[in-house]
Amino acid sequence: MSYRQFVMSQSLILMAGSMIFPFYVLLLRNVGDSYAQFGWAYGLFTLTSALMYPVVGKAADRLGDRQLLLFYSMGMAVLLLFFPLVTSVWQVYGLQVCMGVLGAIQKNTEKAALARTANHKQAGADMGRYHFWTSIAAATAVIVTGYLVDFLTIATIFYLASLMYVMSGLIVWKKQENSSISF
Amino acid sequence: MKKGLFVCFYVALFTASVYLYSYIYSDPTVEDAGHLLPVRVKEIKQADGEKVLKKIVQDANRTGSQLSIAGMQHSQGGQTYYPGSVMINMKPFNKIIHFQPEKRLITVQSGATWDDIQRHINPYGLAVKVMQSQNIFTIGGSLSVNVHGRDIRHESLIDTVESFRLLKPDGTIVLVSRNENEELFPYVIGGYGLFGIILDVTLSLTEDKLYQKETKELDYRAYTRYFQQQVKENTAVKMHLARISVAPDSFLREMYVTDYVEAENQKLLKNENTLKEDRIVALPKLFLGLSRYSGWGKDLFWDVQKQYALEENGSFESRNNVMRSETDFMNYESSTRTEILQEYFVPVAEFSAYIDDMRNLLEKEKEFNLLNITIRYVEKSDQAVLSYAKEDMFALVLLINQGKSAQEVEKSKDVIQDMIDVTLDHGGSYYLPYYSFPSEEQLEKAYPRIEAFFKKKQEVDPQKRFTNYFYEEYQQ
Repeated sequence: MSYRQFVMSQSLILMAGSMIFPFYVLLLRNVGDSYAQFGWAYGLFTLTSALMYPVVGKAADRLGDRQLLLFYSMGMAVLLLFFPLVTSVWQVYGLQVCMGVLGAIQKNTEKAALARTANHKQAGADMGRYHFWTSIAAATAVIVTGYLVDFLTIATIFYLASLMYVMSGLIVWKKQENSSISF
Repeated sequence: MKKGLFVCFYVALFTASVYLYSYIYSDPTVEDAGHLLPVRVKEIKQADGEKVLKKIVQDANRTGSQLSIAGMQHSQGGQTYYPGSVMINMKPFNKIIHFQPEKRLITVQSGATWDDIQRHINPYGLAVKVMQSQNIFTIGGSLSVNVHGRDIRHESLIDTVESFRLLKPDGTIVLVSRNENEELFPYVIGGYGLFGIILDVTLSLTEDKLYQKETKELDYRAYTRYFQQQVKENTAVKMHLARISVAPDSFLREMYVTDYVEAENQKLLKNENTLKEDRIVALPKLFLGLSRYSGWGKDLFWDVQKQYALEENGSFESRNNVMRSETDFMNYESSTRTEILQEYFVPVAEFSAYIDDMRNLLEKEKEFNLLNITIRYVEKSDQAVLSYAKEDMFALVLLINQGKSAQEVEKSKDVIQDMIDVTLDHGGSYYLPYYSFPSEEQLEKAYPRIEAFFKKKQEVDPQKRFTNYFYEEYQQ
């Protein structure tokens, strides 16, 4: 995996993420009944992430960042296929726990990968560049999706996002491009 | 190899998900503006033309499916659907078929909205005679509930209908007017979609005029006399609307009234006859929001509303614009609560005594969250079999915020049945497009011809091809 592949796949991941998360609330509202349930849904997500971080951290050093990022992308792609089918709150809770596990993998590995590649002298600039591109992608996605929701159902948004996760996974999966930096 | 395997697995899962999703939605859940009766219907069919509608009815006769007819679905008691029935969405059936400005007549398909008509006729200086204060409803739906509005010089909508074509339960199409198939006329209008599908309607129109608003504050005890002397007798007043306070400080005592008086200088109409579009509604939405949750919010909302109305005193508005008031600020989204409507009709002379009785009743019901009452006038009309205006009546529209749970619906039902009893005691009646809170006895008392109505329904539609919650709930 080259640095270019890494940034492209992470941009896609952020795009897909920002596509679904604001509208995910709409789904929760169709299913959920109270703010307490919103709280639980997000709380479970964060709590699972917290418990997963130490495990994920060690796994990253052992298995390599590429494997984990691949697992994350494909995992999210599959998980999102279940979202349109949700009809009750406990299913949302289940999905949130799975998302918590995957979220921890992504966050931790993304940082680890960046740390491994960064040139220590200009680490700040590197991070800035990385965040610039990925955030631009995210912003574009969230604005465009706002319009899309008017034309498509929320389910379609989940399917689109799922396909984007597959794409980001395939980018990572591809044979390494010629590049001086490797992971 | 691994990659290929994953792609296969993913494609399979993707297909399964889409299939399951569309399967869930092929047995779609529908609900109306009351949000109290979400149910699964068999199918939603789109009214894509007359041939399609005819085929829907013929197919239903073959397969034994039941049909229900839906427009904007602002009826709140499932009048537009029934579990397991095929719901026909009339909204795509919305063309203007024939417009004769010189004769002041327009023929439209029943899925068209009042807004569609207004946009078409406004450039010709014409306006609708009778419709609701808002223009979002379909013509077919409005006809099926025989609406009334702010206009005080015509009776209800039935008064302005020249003729319509009806697709009957047996699949045949007939023209219905006061001279042709006239026996159906008073049943189908105000017939809640039980006699077949209204295909298109010819309505008589009137001139668009410039009105000047006259708004003043009143004590509720002075209202009847004010209305009889200053409004009814003054032929220059064409439309009328009043509000009575639901705020704790002035509960069912303070009122303000707005009369729409034909302006002396009609030449000014050209400055006012651009159709108004939806404005930003954040502010009224905020005040209404506050009034949902607290007594002080209601006091504040009432004061602001009244102040705003009084400041508008003397301003001009075209007839068409009076008939397209805003609705967006009333949109209310909550998964646990909903906002429902009630409408009570009470004879003009009874108003003050009626309000006293209502106050006595409602002051005991601390939990009953009443948000707004508007008052209109409707002239006596006995054209429709299910006519609500047995004499000249004031019509009070109540907006109520309530929970969706079974217990909360039950609690509302108790209060609403009590309010209907009070209304009936004063010689009044109530409007039918709402949730089935009223008892059968109350229905019979408010609508003495209900038995004839149901009998005619059985005669025209013996197979019960068309049905809805209202019919299933109350048929004898």
